[in-house]
Amino acid sequence: MSDATLPAIAAPRQRAPGIWRQSWYRFRRNRAGLIGLAMVTLVVLVALLAPFAAPFAPDDTSAMLRGAARRAPSALHWLGTDRNGYDVFTRMIYGARTALAVGLGAMIIASVIGVIIGGIAGYAGGMVDELLMRFAEFFMVIPVFVVILAVVRLFGIVVVGTWLEDIPNLNLMTIIVLLGCFEWPPIARMARAEFLRLRNSEFVEAAHCIGSSRRDILLRHILPNAMPPLIVLVALGIGGAILAETMVSFLGFGDPRAVSWGQSLYFNYEALKVAPWAVLSPGAALFVTVLGFNLLADGLTDAFNPRTRQ
Amino acid sequence: MGTARYIARRLIFSLCLILGVSVILFAMINAIGNPVEVLLAERPGITEEMIQAVTEYYGLNGSVTDRYFTWIWALLRLDFGTSIIYNLPVSEMLVTYGLETLKIQVPAILIALLVSVLISVLAATRQYSRVDFGVIASAMVGHSMPGFLLGIVLILIFSYSLGILPSYGAYSTRNPLWGSDVADALWHMVLPVGMLVFFNCATLTLLLRSSLVDVLRQDFITAARASGLPERRVVFGHALRNAFIPVLTYLGILFGLMLGTAPVTETVFTWPGLGALYIMAIQQLDYPLIMGATMVITVMLVTATLLTDIAYVAIDPRIRLG
Repeated sequence: MSDATLPAIAAPRQRAPGIWRQSWYRFRRNRAGLIGLAMVTLVVLVALLAPFAAPFAPDDTSAMLRGAARRAPSALHWLGTDRNGYDVFTRMIYGARTALAVGLGAMIIASVIGVIIGGIAGYAGGMVDELLMRFAEFFMVIPVFVVILAVVRLFGIVVVGTWLEDIPNLNLMTIIVLLGCFEWPPIARMARAEFLRLRNSEFVEAAHCIGSSRRDILLRHILPNAMPPLIVLVALGIGGAILAETMVSFLGFGDPRAVSWGQSLYFNYEALKVAPWAVLSPGAALFVTVLGFNLLADGLTDAFNPRTRQ
Repeated sequence: MGTARYIARRLIFSLCLILGVSVILFAMINAIGNPVEVLLAERPGITEEMIQAVTEYYGLNGSVTDRYFTWIWALLRLDFGTSIIYNLPVSEMLVTYGLETLKIQVPAILIALLVSVLISVLAATRQYSRVDFGVIASAMVGHSMPGFLLGIVLILIFSYSLGILPSYGAYSTRNPLWGSDVADALWHMVLPVGMLVFFNCATLTLLLRSSLVDVLRQDFITAARASGLPERRVVFGHALRNAFIPVLTYLGILFGLMLGTAPVTETVFTWPGLGALYIMAIQQLDYPLIMGATMVITVMLVTATLLTDIAYVAIDPRIRLG
């Protein structure tokens, strides 16, 4: 056999890269997106490795006993100590865990609600669509943050003396669930638009023709293709949820037992003039996290949807 | 569908929204238990008779639906009841504190609009230049900067390090600046307004710049240039007007965001506004004040959304009403 005919017959044609691989190729060229990815990775790593990365235990207040509370950064306490004698650097590192738990927890709840409501609205259409979307619009207009503050405070009083009180970090979980229950409308709107678009596409029609069940069509054909824009919203939402939890805690309605950036800000804001490092450090951590998720979402938008790039 | 019918429909929907929020708020507070018991839960030494007396005093012994209609009927006559903690009419407090909130938010939005127009024109007319990238990068960073953190940094710099601006309050308790109350009030407004301007500016600039870049590429801009109009008139007269449409819808959202996070802003600057009042109300469980403040904030938000909706169709006749 001659060499000339060999490639044409023997080499199978390489498979065209799929939607995810193509997106990754585009994402790789986006500098802002990569910086965001690096920041998010850093936060995730810090959260996972907190016990190894932190120089002190998160509940170590021994500096207080030594009379070394509110000390400026030094070789022993890299970012100083706060007014309770906590090591600021340690609390900042452990705060990443709470932040990610809040962000992921809230967005998982929001995504489930959003995809179910949006999916039904988009696929069913008609009156159901109209009603569900008005319902979503309702949640978009009400002052969410204000309502969350009131519910967290009132719920904290109601549970006193009931079995619910024994749940560890109940207050934090309330905040996560509330954020999830209020952040779903943008996801529902996007899911609706995508389901509506894909419902009439050719491959869904083909699936109908070969007799796929409705469940298969929704979950195996439409949902995976609706994912890219939803992922962008989830990335944005994680940053938003982390910011919201920090603000709730900063106002003093957070979980006093949780080690979170908002709690550090709340406890140390009064001492801003004397120990600014105890406020600036958790603030900087929050900023890096939110910026990271925003940049990541920006990069993902460009990667999934090259036409919008300017 | 005609414009009038569209506006009527939005108006009805807005009213439904406000009514819906009132029902949810009322149901939530009642689902949590007898307000009196919750109110007295954190105060020791309370007897059964006192609970009875307080219940009667606040007219809480009817059925839930009865009380809801009494409350709503009073709201319609702008009677928000009396604050439990301050023993003042809630409506009076809401007006006083609400004006303080608007005093920093309205100027902030106006200044932010002006500044972001100038910056985005600068960036969009020099697309892909160093100026443009600088503007995008700093707007992106500013967009992700939580407002209250910026406020804290501003206080550290201007109040504590330089000592030129006050860090808290809306007025000096004594010795106003230059002996003038107006100058003193303005002096106190600088930091909170500055923070809100920065917060709004970043987002508005991102939006307006990309919108302007889009518009500047369109044919009618080329036509305007070809007809010999000076560049300044092309940009400010023709392009900017069209680029503004998406920004306008965002103004309502931005105002809502500012109002919604007023509790945080006003805590940072110890500003005597609606947000700070709201925080005090929920800390002290002052029910009439909580419900009144929530309703006022909701009405302001819904009105802002409604106005942007109407402005949207008024400006752009191409929009299909539905």
